[in-house]
Amino acid sequence: MLGRFARLKDPLKLLNQQAVQCLSNRPPNFETTGTVPSSTPAPEQAPQTKKTINKAMKAYLERAQEHDEFMKRQREEYQIGKRHLANMMGEDPEHFTQEDIDNAIEYLFPSGLFEKKARPFMKPPEEVFPQKKAAEFDETGRPHHFLFYTSKPNFYQTLHDTVQHINDLYMYEDAMLKKNLRPDKNLELDCSGYQWMTKEQLEGILMETIGDKDYDYFISSLERLIALPYSYTVKDFVMKYKTRLVSQMQDVEVPKPKYDSEGRAYITTYECRRKDARGDVTIRAPGTGKITINGKDINYFQDTQCREQGYKSAIGD
Amino acid sequence: MFSLKLNRFVSLCPIKNIKLFSVEAPQAAQVDPVSALPISKQEEVLRHPDYFNVHNLFTVQDLFEARVHYGHKEGSLDERMLPYIYGSRLGHLIFDLDKTATYLRLALNIVAHVAYRDGIILFFLRGAQNAHLVEQTAKECGEFAHTRFWRGGIFTNANKQFGAVTRLPDLCIFMNTLNNILTTHTAVRDAAKMTIITIGVVDTNCNPSLITYPVPGNDDSPASIELYCKLFKSAILRGKEKRREHLQQQ
Repeated sequence: MLGRFARLKDPLKLLNQQAVQCLSNRPPNFETTGTVPSSTPAPEQAPQTKKTINKAMKAYLERAQEHDEFMKRQREEYQIGKRHLANMMGEDPEHFTQEDIDNAIEYLFPSGLFEKKARPFMKPPEEVFPQKKAAEFDETGRPHHFLFYTSKPNFYQTLHDTVQHINDLYMYEDAMLKKNLRPDKNLELDCSGYQWMTKEQLEGILMETIGDKDYDYFISSLERLIALPYSYTVKDFVMKYKTRLVSQMQDVEVPKPKYDSEGRAYITTYECRRKDARGDVTIRAPGTGKITINGKDINYFQDTQCREQGYKSAIGD
Repeated sequence: MFSLKLNRFVSLCPIKNIKLFSVEAPQAAQVDPVSALPISKQEEVLRHPDYFNVHNLFTVQDLFEARVHYGHKEGSLDERMLPYIYGSRLGHLIFDLDKTATYLRLALNIVAHVAYRDGIILFFLRGAQNAHLVEQTAKECGEFAHTRFWRGGIFTNANKQFGAVTRLPDLCIFMNTLNNILTTHTAVRDAAKMTIITIGVVDTNCNPSLITYPVPGNDDSPASIELYCKLFKSAILRGKEKRREHLQQQ
């Protein structure tokens, strides 16, 4: 067995010889260098008087400038268009709000399309065009974010912060136990009126696309954080990723009864509908059980089936 | 060793005649972070065998206490790791810490030199137990970390992946070279393809052949990983400090 390895040169000696040569000949590792730069290392060239910019930075600056000019043009068009629209509608151009714009567009371009997002709209360009990420690296090409090479720095930064909080809470809990202290039950984190934000909303915040598995992992990490006894100390961090549950009861408004001269309560509901029939119904309380339809009693409905339906629904069957 | 062979090839052939695969028209000069440093200082730093005194950062005793000498069982041994192993005890393989110390000092020297020349350093670790520590270490010394799922084209297809012309790392440090399914991390091969220097902690079940500066040692104990993180961080910070000093002296 030793004989096989006798043929191996001593890796240490090779490395020592090559180390200095390797480093002195080594250019910074840009992917777009088509040819290896000349054999004389950079320091031996004449010192450059003009500061030349990194190609990566140059490309970014060009794109950023294009984007800024584009947004400026769109904003100007939007403002001018808003004033034209106000004039068309006969409104004051100075006080024309977004709601007025929406109503005007709906009036001028009535659309039968079902999907609301497919209908014509006029919105400020910030809402219409997606915001781009700022420059991710400096002039030498060195990225700003320490997780840049994962290609999802914001997402993995969130996971990193979550783990940091979990570790901090473990240590805090240990410190509290040493002093024989227990967490205050009143301060416990209550997320009952909230739900986790959807994957799309999260992608919007992070400005990165994430997969379903990544999203599920993210949610389970945060649940793990919430489950710890002192999680109320990191409430702000957790609530960033929760949205309020929409209350379903908001639309129901119970109308108040009116009182007639004798002090009896009554309420009239207008535009009650059944197929093409329309009616106004008045109910009085305390009642006598008498039904009056257009001056006649229940026999207004000559058909037995209609009478039964009407009668049964009135007594709440 | 792939990357060593490439260096030898480069030194034999005249460099002007070599064309690499990504053929594009030579662009205008790029900002070279090294050219900011005075030439005389650079040569002085490179000639010195240990300019940043990395040999003082640890002792063999520290390696022993951090359990760096523990390998896996004999059955999972990769034959290419035999030169670095002292022997085995009750079926468990033991690293030769004197050799480990030499390799580790070499690696730390390289790390310090790359940091001195403002190189981008990328830390790798695949393993949930210590991943957070490695990310934190990278953040604290102002470098980069990748402890997540490796998307195929990050090195080999960087411009398309990141949507813009990207500068790749100059040095990759692998705290463990195996991924979650116990095969070699793809980045080892990709770094070799893109001629990026790799430093890797190789355990008894790892393949050290593609790694430029292997460091034979334990990659599973949290104590060992903490020690490596501490040492690499100190080396990087020393290199950066010297750079600041020399830039100010100018």
